[in-house]
Amino acid sequence: MIRLMKYELRKSWYLKAILLLVTAVAEAVFLIGLWGGKDSLTATGVLLLTILATTGTMVIGLGTVFVLHRDINTKQSCMLFMTPHSSYEILGAKLLENAISILLIGAFFFGLGALDITLLFAKEQALDRLWQIMSEMLRTINENLTIDAPHLAAFLWMLIADWLTTVVTACLADVLSASLLAGKRFSGLISVLFFLALNVALNWLIRLIMNQIPTDFVTSCVVGGCLSIVLGAAMYVVTAVLMERKLSV
Amino acid sequence: MLESRELTKKYGSKTAVSGISLKLEAGHICAMLGPNGSGKTTWMKMAAGLVKPTSGEILFEGAPVSIESRRHIAYMSTEPYFYTWMSAKDVGKYYEDFFEDFSVERYRNLLARMELTEDLKVKALSSGMAAKLKIAATLARDAKVWMLDEPFNGIDLLARDQIRECIVERAGEDRLLLLSSHLVEEMETLVDRAVYIREGVLIESVDLEQLRTERGLSMADLYRQIYTGKEVIA
Amino acid sequence: MQFDPMIPIWLQVMEDLEVGIITGKHPPGSKLPGGRETAVQYGINPNTAARVYQELEKLGLSETRRGLGSFVTEDGALIARVREQLAGKAVDRCMRDLARLGVERSAAIQMLLEREEKN
Repeated sequence: MIRLMKYELRKSWYLKAILLLVTAVAEAVFLIGLWGGKDSLTATGVLLLTILATTGTMVIGLGTVFVLHRDINTKQSCMLFMTPHSSYEILGAKLLENAISILLIGAFFFGLGALDITLLFAKEQALDRLWQIMSEMLRTINENLTIDAPHLAAFLWMLIADWLTTVVTACLADVLSASLLAGKRFSGLISVLFFLALNVALNWLIRLIMNQIPTDFVTSCVVGGCLSIVLGAAMYVVTAVLMERKLSV
Repeated sequence: MLESRELTKKYGSKTAVSGISLKLEAGHICAMLGPNGSGKTTWMKMAAGLVKPTSGEILFEGAPVSIESRRHIAYMSTEPYFYTWMSAKDVGKYYEDFFEDFSVERYRNLLARMELTEDLKVKALSSGMAAKLKIAATLARDAKVWMLDEPFNGIDLLARDQIRECIVERAGEDRLLLLSSHLVEEMETLVDRAVYIREGVLIESVDLEQLRTERGLSMADLYRQIYTGKEVIA
Repeated sequence: MQFDPMIPIWLQVMEDLEVGIITGKHPPGSKLPGGRETAVQYGINPNTAARVYQELEKLGLSETRRGLGSFVTEDGALIARVREQLAGKAVDRCMRDLARLGVERSAAIQMLLEREEKN
């Protein structure tokens, strides 16, 4: 299993390397602006970093799906599917590698963000002020929102759970399309359609269940996240079964 | 050792393999013959577990082909299939990681005989070198069944002789080697059984020495007879 | 070695080995190459090579010693007989070819003697 994951990482390291490289550039811009006193550069840096942080994890997730697509639909499929591993292990390795990468990259950006914010306001010596401003902003959105550990943690949990499940959904869509169409012309398009359909169904189901539960922000995030994970796990099993029984590469 | 029972594979309205029942015993080197698109590759891929049958069974040592059988079956597809970011050394590492019967030493030995080096990048290989690399990796395994799909494609004469030698070296009483190739005449002395397939259907399965003794025909003669429908004068 | 694909391969390899034994390439009592070695050398199936050795043994031209391999017989008379046989076949082939060309038997023998004299 670890070996499978090792190769999954090798297959996608290119993407991750580019992400890190662009992040390094953005960080450099930010730092130059900060120390050079060029506010425009600092702001650009912050903007770039924020975009990278939010899209970075998405890109990694997409990367996993693309690699799966390639592994199923090109001649390279022999490499993976002739090994004595079950589809559960093969798919599981991909998803695990993806999850770990997302968590690591997420933690990386979190750390970087914390570092940068500290730098920014250490310079301006207004860290408290930042906190106040942000809390006020949130209060105007919703009375009950505050930035504190539980809220942040719950929110992040839901975000990550949601995203991981989205990746599994995309994998299922791709395998479904490949199994039914056997690489015919529009299989890529069809898998996107499957994906959208599955997403809609999933969201509908989650909303249905969530409406039964009276919630506050933290609980809804936590429960929502858990629900996502459960559904994600179910889809993982379905995808693996499809790969094992129906998929011809 | 490898048996298919009424094995069928359909892709939509197209039938690639139609009810092939075939039994291949250990201890033989068998040629799978037929024009392009006759179903040879599909049959092999089903034996390798890469393609799932529409109906019928494919068995390895009496049990349906499974994850376990992949440990003992080595399939080499016609096209290049290594990851493009790999070097020959990486390929060896990959096979070593996933196949217990793979020997790095044998791999290096085969690479040397094919005049390839470990630092070559898969991306940079000519088609002939890529073909030789595939063979080196596949034959470096100590499988019970080897299925080589067009192993001689794009390879020069001397390398073909070398490959034939390597194939003979891997053959044994407890092994099965299945070769599919268009170079029928070159395989005459190498194989001892031949299976003729046309349009997904098994036409004939013969023991070659018997064919020569009883009918005075070579493997190529029978091929011509089957696919042109004309009697060959012995 | 060039093979005729319409004649059993084992037969052809066996004949080659027989010739080897007769001409002294494989002297009486010497060890013959192993089955696998023979297979690689001739580019044939190990099965076929095994058959060759079986047939050689049937003829009495070789004997297998457990764990040691196959050895050429020391029976000089047998070897001489086989030489006769193969030589006879060669003569028959020659006569058949000449007959196909319409050359009469006595004329054929005459030709053989004349050519022999010239050489």
